[in-house]
Amino acid sequence: MVLLVLVCLASLLLGAGDVGPARALSVLMGQGDAEARFVLGSLRLPRTLIGLVVGLSLGVAGALLQAVTRNPLAEPGLLGVSAGAAFAVALALLLGATATTMRVGVAQLGAMAGCLCVLGVARVSGAGSDPVRLVLAGAALTGLLLSLTSLLLLFDQRAADEIRFWIVGSLAGRRLEHLVAILPSLLLASGLVLAVARPLAAMALGERIASGLGHRPGLIRLLVIVAVALLVGAATATAGPIAFIGLVVPFAARALAGPDIRRTLWFCLPLGPLMVIAADIVSRLLVAPSEMPLGVLTALCGAPVLVAVVRARRMPTL
Amino acid sequence: MCRDASVHNQARQWPDAERCEGDATDVVAPPGHWHLAWQAADGSAPFSLLIDRRAFVAALILLLALLTASFAYLAMGSSSLPPQAVLAALVGRGDMMAVFLVQELRLPRLAAACLTGAAFGVAGCLMQTLARNRLATPGIIGIDNGATAFAVASVIGLGVSLAPPAMALVGATTAAALTFGLAAGGGTRGYRFIVAGIGIGAVFGAITQLLMAKVHIDTANAAYPWTVGSLNARPAGAVMLLAVGLPLGLGAALWLTRALSLMRFSDAVASALGLRVSQRRWQVLMVSVLLTGLAVAVAGPVGLIGLIGPEIARSLSSPRGVPVVASALAGALVMVLADLAGRVLLSPLEIPVGIVTAVVGGPWLLWILLRPASRNLA
Amino acid sequence: MTRHQLATRDLTLCHGRATVIDRLALSLPVGKVTAIVGPNGCGKSTLLAGLSRLHAPKQGTVLLDGRDIQQLPARELARRLALLPQEATAPEGLTVAELVRFGRQPHQGWLRQWSAEDQRVVHKALAEADVDELADRPLDTLSGGQRQRAWIAMTIAQQTPLLLLDEPTSALDLGHQIEVFELVRRLAAEGRTVVMVLHDLASACRYADHLLALHNGQLVATGPPGEVVTTELVRRLYDIDCTLIPDPATGSLLLANVRRASRHSVEA
Repeated sequence: MVLLVLVCLASLLLGAGDVGPARALSVLMGQGDAEARFVLGSLRLPRTLIGLVVGLSLGVAGALLQAVTRNPLAEPGLLGVSAGAAFAVALALLLGATATTMRVGVAQLGAMAGCLCVLGVARVSGAGSDPVRLVLAGAALTGLLLSLTSLLLLFDQRAADEIRFWIVGSLAGRRLEHLVAILPSLLLASGLVLAVARPLAAMALGERIASGLGHRPGLIRLLVIVAVALLVGAATATAGPIAFIGLVVPFAARALAGPDIRRTLWFCLPLGPLMVIAADIVSRLLVAPSEMPLGVLTALCGAPVLVAVVRARRMPTL
Repeated sequence: MCRDASVHNQARQWPDAERCEGDATDVVAPPGHWHLAWQAADGSAPFSLLIDRRAFVAALILLLALLTASFAYLAMGSSSLPPQAVLAALVGRGDMMAVFLVQELRLPRLAAACLTGAAFGVAGCLMQTLARNRLATPGIIGIDNGATAFAVASVIGLGVSLAPPAMALVGATTAAALTFGLAAGGGTRGYRFIVAGIGIGAVFGAITQLLMAKVHIDTANAAYPWTVGSLNARPAGAVMLLAVGLPLGLGAALWLTRALSLMRFSDAVASALGLRVSQRRWQVLMVSVLLTGLAVAVAGPVGLIGLIGPEIARSLSSPRGVPVVASALAGALVMVLADLAGRVLLSPLEIPVGIVTAVVGGPWLLWILLRPASRNLA
Repeated sequence: MTRHQLATRDLTLCHGRATVIDRLALSLPVGKVTAIVGPNGCGKSTLLAGLSRLHAPKQGTVLLDGRDIQQLPARELARRLALLPQEATAPEGLTVAELVRFGRQPHQGWLRQWSAEDQRVVHKALAEADVDELADRPLDTLSGGQRQRAWIAMTIAQQTPLLLLDEPTSALDLGHQIEVFELVRRLAAEGRTVVMVLHDLASACRYADHLLALHNGQLVATGPPGEVVTTELVRRLYDIDCTLIPDPATGSLLLANVRRASRHSVEA
């Protein structure tokens, strides 16, 4: 938690522009010049807040997805959920939608479709029992959806310009109204998460045992998928598809919190934003004065974690 | 010394072989093969070749299909030409415009498509055999992405850089070393190896984007189609290099066919049959990486060709051998068709060939993964 | 068939840092069936891998006709020594005849892909292993015993004087085990030297001429089964007590009244 506050502060203070830490600090103290005030208030503050929310959503979504599939590799970005959202948004933009709220809804629908598609197919074919195979199916679906998205972009230059910036995943240039647009769905998702957390812990023992304990696995699974779709859709609509956060954050949270999904979820709350905002700061500074897309940085950090998890001789089962 | 080439057409089955046992001169080819032997006067055959009939027929069918597709490729496009005009233009006669279109625009691109497709096809086939895993194609385990990242670095002019093809080779080698070094510890047969390869591919994909983010937007836009795989922005030197490298790689692959067919057995069996497994694995890996690097330098990462090509080749050929030639032809065929579709479908817009193959190959990959029969692969 | 001698001198085989076979010296009787027996983890399969060059020795040598097998070219070795490993996997869809033809590979080359000799040997191997009627069946459609005989046919087609089999009967039911053992006896009768790793001591007594008993990487007994198998040896190898009685029909030893070794006898 303390770390999170520090990182948020750093996110406000550091940046690619001319406004250095000292000038930024003076703004926080209530003084400072107009330029610094503008940079902080209109650029860095929204950016930090959005990073907070996106990290929260992706971290929790990853933990939920891993718990419900009992698969340590299940990750919204890897399983095609983010790609589903991105494809839906690209399609909506092509068809002429511009309003931010609509984008969120569309992204959530796309995330839902992607999620149902990969989990459903995996379930039907029996691949769900093999963690690695599920990821492979997800990767294939992601590749397909990304190509389809690129295909859509070819049709419409205007949409392409608007999307190309968004599709690599970034916190730059997002405004507070984006945040407002996703708040209702985040609240709804939080309610769902609170409702399913307890039965989900029972699900970790196996579906038979969970139903023996009086839970309904089918319903829980559906609720979790809805919650994941809401969270990932909201995060993707705001920041674009950002991969690997949903893998790394629950991975770290589990290491800290142990196997209980409820504790893991609590640990995800600070860890997700921590990671996203820290990555965002690095992406601002690494290639200054220009910027590196956040999604690129998370992939650089996250993919080695994926390799490490897969390499581990005994894969932790959830 | 009298040498006569005799071809035994094999319509007979095993019981006939029994009858002619003891008669050393009458060699009957095993079922499904043609037997070519140059016999010496004493009846011994110092040279003998077996040709798998089905592999031969498969290659012939694919070759015919490739020729047809190539002809269509030359004829169709932003302005379509009737068949006679294409033929006339090929020999340099007829309408100036048509000659220019066919000889200057479409023919070089067709050549590039055939060369890259064949290279990707052979590289995929070799890698699959090497890893004994049909999902282990260079595109999936990250080698394409490695080559792309390094080649992009060269294109946008980073400090230390060689020509794009050389850099692509370096990148392909690096990615292959990483994937096999890091991920193959637990063997290459399971899905873990593949997912680890996907992870390594993701790192290189991210590096490519990072490089693109560093440069001016116009440079990035120019490099963009190439990073998804396109024949539009092919560097001329790279095509020449591939034209030299492909025959070399294909020759090496053919020279290795007997080793390859043994490699499909478990290592202990292959080794007991006299194969120096680790040495041959190195050779096969090197050929595959070389072909991938050279092909990526021309067309970018059109990796799914390496999956689709050998898959088609295998379905046409017999399970006896490793379909190297058929993979090359099928890869070229798919590449030509995909680029043709990319040029024609949304004309005048052009879809990069990498996107066409991804849209077609993605569902194919999912199908391979999810049908129950593929379970015995892991 | 020329007589070929396989022997080891000071052979040490390791898995990582663990020593599995410790300075072993042995010599395999020519033209006989030798069985390597011992408890799980005693190094039976590792020894077989060492004998066939799959496992490079840490120290010492394996000698084939007095020459170090590490120095022999791979194809040369494959013409003298055939190995059937425990989990042999073949490509999907391969037929029995095609599998057996692979056994000719060490004798062939790029420009000598099929000769009258190949044809004769493959045909004979199919007949010898009694799989000639299955020749055109894909391997994956066969029963366990048939498949194992097909694999042995492949090693026969290699025409090697030495044949090494790693637990050739491990996954087979009793009937299929007998099929394989009788085939092994027929091969030895033709003058081949057969070495097999076996799990079951009684089958080793019944079908082997010579026994190598391994325990903790050391040779604890070697010789004809009737001479070396004693209740003490059985207790030392498997930690069980038993009564040894001769099979009324064949005279080979059978294990009866088998039970866990009592405390004092283990300590003794």
